[in-house]
Amino acid sequence: MVVQAREFKPLPDQPAPIATTGPIAWVKNNLFSSAFNIAVTITITVALFAILPGVLDWLFFSANWSGTTQADCVKDGACWVFIQAWSQQIFYGSYPIDEIWRVNLSLFLLAGVIALSFILPAHLRNKVAVPAYLLLPFVCLLFLDGSNIGLKPVTTDLWGGFSLNVLIAAASIIIAFPFGFLWALGRQSEMPFARSVSVTCIEFFRGTPILALFFMGSVMLPLFFPADVSVDKLLRVWIILVLFMSAYMAEVFRSGFQAIPQGQYEAADSIGLGYWQKTLLIVFPQVIKIAMPNILATFVMVFKNTVFLLVIAVPEMLQVIMSALSNSNWLGGHAMEGYLFVGFIFWVCCFSMSLLASSIEKKLDTSHKN
Amino acid sequence: MSVDNQSIESTNDKDIIAIKDMNKWYGNFHVLKDINLTVKKGERIVVCGPSGSGKSTMIRCINRLEEFQRGSLTVNGVEMVEDVKNIEAIRREVGMVFQHFNLFPHLTILENLTLGPIWVQKKPKEEAEAIAMKYLERVKIPDQALKFPGQLSGGQQQRVAIARSLCMSPQIMLFDEPTSALDPEMIKEVLDVMVELADEGMTMLCVTHEMGFAKKVADRVIFMDGGEIVEENEPHEFFDNPKTDRLQLFLSQILQH
Repeated sequence: MVVQAREFKPLPDQPAPIATTGPIAWVKNNLFSSAFNIAVTITITVALFAILPGVLDWLFFSANWSGTTQADCVKDGACWVFIQAWSQQIFYGSYPIDEIWRVNLSLFLLAGVIALSFILPAHLRNKVAVPAYLLLPFVCLLFLDGSNIGLKPVTTDLWGGFSLNVLIAAASIIIAFPFGFLWALGRQSEMPFARSVSVTCIEFFRGTPILALFFMGSVMLPLFFPADVSVDKLLRVWIILVLFMSAYMAEVFRSGFQAIPQGQYEAADSIGLGYWQKTLLIVFPQVIKIAMPNILATFVMVFKNTVFLLVIAVPEMLQVIMSALSNSNWLGGHAMEGYLFVGFIFWVCCFSMSLLASSIEKKLDTSHKN
Repeated sequence: MSVDNQSIESTNDKDIIAIKDMNKWYGNFHVLKDINLTVKKGERIVVCGPSGSGKSTMIRCINRLEEFQRGSLTVNGVEMVEDVKNIEAIRREVGMVFQHFNLFPHLTILENLTLGPIWVQKKPKEEAEAIAMKYLERVKIPDQALKFPGQLSGGQQQRVAIARSLCMSPQIMLFDEPTSALDPEMIKEVLDVMVELADEGMTMLCVTHEMGFAKKVADRVIFMDGGEIVEENEPHEFFDNPKTDRLQLFLSQILQH
């Protein structure tokens, strides 16, 4: 006997109840969900009302915005004149004022290459953006130094300010990236030599404080060189930052390697890809994606660590602020403005890097968990 | 496989895989014990057995995803020795489909398929893409070419994985439980593709519990337990007239439902 099948019609979707979505539900669920939360919300609101007016007044309303000397700071608020008067030093150190375009050009090139790697279509990205990144530090070096390309030579002791923080961090990150990847590969290699070299490097540079490394680089290292060989101090610092960061990157990459399922290697093997093809075409792109948050954390760490250069008297931004504070024309407590400004600039940069990284993460996300 | 049809007909009686006294240990654990198996060109073999019986391990030895410690293996006239060139030569002849598909999640379907032809066989991109599209049509999902694996259903992903292997025009296809991770409704679409492949004369070694598939396409069914080949026979005899009590028990367990 044939029974007539009932036709199956899926029910239409209905909107979620209003009480679980929307702003009112959010406030109710997040700010006033229990007696304790209500108390916390009220306390914080009261505290904000008590503190904010004073802070805003000092920062903006009673602040001194124009002038050229300390004498122009007559109001009670912050003396932003201090930052203004020192701005050139803060951003460019003692770099000769007529040659500052070279610093700007370097910063512009850096921004350009970053933009390039976002704009380019996928098939050009590897061929164009990667070489551009790797060349960037050396092109900037040529321009900033100038002596090899017929510009006025500017010795590295004149380089400084925030542009130095940015450029040396970027140059270290760029070179440390491939180094760190090689160390991570070496660490899980089956070849005893590659493995022991990688492990030694990683553990040494990761286990030593960056301050100690800077001191070693600036004070101890020259003792080992022959008397007539002198390696530029900034170059030594750069090498140390690269090695230090490579060690961290290697561990970041290693955690990425471990997150890649064994099946990916097997699939690559079964279609006959060789070691480097497998590593660069299959493993590397997935490692980058998995490790992106940690890669960014390492970038931010190194960028912030550049202020430690002040301990070996490299005039980076914080060093400039500190010497400005002890300048005889500006004595008398602009420390608050100075340090707030340094903190603010670093925060803006690090936050932008966060935004950049999350947009990269979105771009790399191919909506899968495999 | 249309491309291989001619060579299959002309050398149909030749052994394409010869395994002799293969033994494998994981540490002290003896996983494969004296495996002897020859496969003729164009033959379809189904391997079944309880989990832990060594069936996956055995077929994974054939393209050297696993090493074995004693015995010998010859694939398409090339003896497996400890040498990268030799291993790569064998892998070029052998395609493999995995239980969990193992598509490359960061590449589109088309890129998954063209990777091997472009980088291993050094074919120009246009040619590789033409081949890829041909096989995507064979597995009936050409319209998914530009999507990522994560956007496809399990059955579609497994069909892509089959197409990816076929793009390398292998002589032999290994299937390692290709339908075990799939929903019941998707098993059929994958099995259909495999049946079609078998009908075209592809040499196939398939680890599976799909007994219907075994009855339909297998030339021989092999039953493994405890790292040994316990019994092998043509499917009719294998299912209707099992010779060992172990296979009788196994069949009664899986055919009960």
